[in-house]
Amino acid sequence: MARRERAASVRRAFSAPGFEPASSATAPSSATAPSSATAPSSVDARRRAAQQARAIADLPPVLDSLFDEVLESWLALQLPPSQATPEMLGRLGTLAYRYTSRVSLEADAVLLEVQGSVRLFGGLQALCAQLLERCRAAGLEPRWALAPTPLAALVLARAGRNIMVRARDRLMGELAPLPVESLAWSAETLARLDSLGVRTLGALLRLPRAGFAKRFGKEALLALDRLSGATAEPRRGFLPREHFHVRSEPTFELISQAAILQHVAPLLDQLEQFLRTRQCGVDLLKLRLAHRAGRFTRLDVRLAAADVSAERFVTVLSEQLARRVLSAAVIDCELRSGVLQPFIAHSDSLWRPAEHGGAIGRESPALIERLRARLGSEAVYGLCLVPQHRPEIAWRVAEPALDAPSPCTAEALYHVSTLRRPLWLLRQPAALPCAVSALHWIAGPERIETGWWDGQDVARDYYVVREPRGAELWVYRERLPPHTWWWHGVFG
Amino acid sequence: MGRTPSLSSDTAADDPLGSLLEHPALWRGRSLARTDTHSTGYPTLDEALPGGGWPANGLSEILSLHPGLGELRLLMPLLVRFGQQPSARWVAWIAPPFEPYAPALAGAGVPLERQLVVRTDEPLWALEQAIESGACATVLGWLKSRPGEALQRSLRRLQLAAQRQRTPVFLFREVAAAQCASPAELRLELHFRVGGARLQLLKSRGGRRGAFDIEWSVASGALHGTP
Repeated sequence: MARRERAASVRRAFSAPGFEPASSATAPSSATAPSSATAPSSVDARRRAAQQARAIADLPPVLDSLFDEVLESWLALQLPPSQATPEMLGRLGTLAYRYTSRVSLEADAVLLEVQGSVRLFGGLQALCAQLLERCRAAGLEPRWALAPTPLAALVLARAGRNIMVRARDRLMGELAPLPVESLAWSAETLARLDSLGVRTLGALLRLPRAGFAKRFGKEALLALDRLSGATAEPRRGFLPREHFHVRSEPTFELISQAAILQHVAPLLDQLEQFLRTRQCGVDLLKLRLAHRAGRFTRLDVRLAAADVSAERFVTVLSEQLARRVLSAAVIDCELRSGVLQPFIAHSDSLWRPAEHGGAIGRESPALIERLRARLGSEAVYGLCLVPQHRPEIAWRVAEPALDAPSPCTAEALYHVSTLRRPLWLLRQPAALPCAVSALHWIAGPERIETGWWDGQDVARDYYVVREPRGAELWVYRERLPPHTWWWHGVFG
Repeated sequence: MGRTPSLSSDTAADDPLGSLLEHPALWRGRSLARTDTHSTGYPTLDEALPGGGWPANGLSEILSLHPGLGELRLLMPLLVRFGQQPSARWVAWIAPPFEPYAPALAGAGVPLERQLVVRTDEPLWALEQAIESGACATVLGWLKSRPGEALQRSLRRLQLAAQRQRTPVFLFREVAAAQCASPAELRLELHFRVGGARLQLLKSRGGRRGAFDIEWSVASGALHGTP
């Protein structure tokens, strides 16, 4: 008791003009720190900082202790019964997971330990303000409370006390006036407590321990110890989902591409939130648009490299949607993510690509995505060598990957460095563009034979020739009768 | 990087007016304008082209009767050089008439992992995307002019995009296209000549015209005998 009074007097002394308690002094400055680091423009940053400062001002002051070291601070977010579905709790848990990895779910609430993340988010109040703002943006209005033990936070939140208690010695004072009903014990236990004349948590905690354990069982005593922090409470951790899946039914039929895009955009925002929480990216999105009479249109959005930004997803999706002709109005949208992949954000270059050695970062996958979204996936490709002596299978189409370690083997390179090969190859050998007698012979023959092991047996004599108009061609004659002549390449 | 200014800079230093007139954005009809260029790798061609090489920021058109007269061989030294640049960027092939043959490219020293082939019926759109993205070291495009199609406006857009992104762009077109005006910085007509090619300079910044010959430096295999 004496110690608490001393703490209060010290606080009073410090609240004299010119010295503000730490919590309110740090609030505005810490609010600007995270937003200015992430914001693209200064105007944006200032607006966001002001917004956050206002959000922090709405929060109650932190009840801090000047003497105790704070080890844990648990934030409880409790949803009203109308919203407390497993799906909503999962969404809230995913939201909270962005701030700490120590998240755990209750039947109607999400508990998260935030003490470990306070510095990163620029103060306890800044963190709470940001988290609550995100909840509000996601359409959730949780009741909340912060306390040094998870059970206390939960009890305070259930009682509707939006307060922030960091110090353990100030927790009892806040808990004491609450009714025992906020513990959510069984009705029978509560009735017995009522008959004993115990109506508040303060009265409950003052009961003799031995007698209480005898009457109400060891479990109840353990719960009280956990409430006050006398005993630690191990909690089961929340595991966020491995896939993103969301379904959304529009309130009216979507008939235009623009309307569909407008409806899907918030879903993509949700996806971005989810991915940022998981620190992952995806390179495949599956969108299923449902029409009446059980028919569907499926859209697969493929990205050249894993990404998280909803803006990118929208760009690629709009290109794909523009190409599709939808047969009927859309009554339902379903969005799924592909497998999550580790995503490492890289910084943009100060210089333009190749200017002063500026490297290209996002431009390359963005180009490939744009081209593929409109022209189809097969229309955009890279080249790769195959160690083969038959010309048509000495190369193959490869996934374009800028400066990926080339899969070319030394054997394949040996082939190309010693033989004269045309720069153009025809996909299929074609008939000669002129009569054989009109050709001017430059080099040859080069015999290319066999392939019996994979069924593509060849027996050809290749020549380099010049046709009358001047182009140098690569032609061959079948060694087997009827010795047909074929045109296979152009030297370009 | 073969960016060589066309005029020696010592004259510019003495004469303030001269240095103003040599600004790359300024083009005087008679003079050899000072432009950023990439060396072609063929000394005779470098000598004939204004600035001593391919324009580094803009369109170059290569017109030929049909593919196979040496239009790729003409660019091969440039593609090899872009492949050696430390910062990796694409060489985009938009709507090529045949398949670029990987073994021949690798044999010439062109790195395959920087080649990007795009098959499309709308090469102009793809060209613009490739140029605007800034992810390409150079863009090669094959255009087939359809009768009655006015390409001028589209080409103008490409030219502006290429200037903005400082990308050399090469368009391969049919000889008939020489009849129409074009915003390209350089227009060449390619003709067959034994062992090389004859290039006719149709348009260039600097106003020089005329024909000149170049030789291929390909060691062609000996002919063992006609069938």
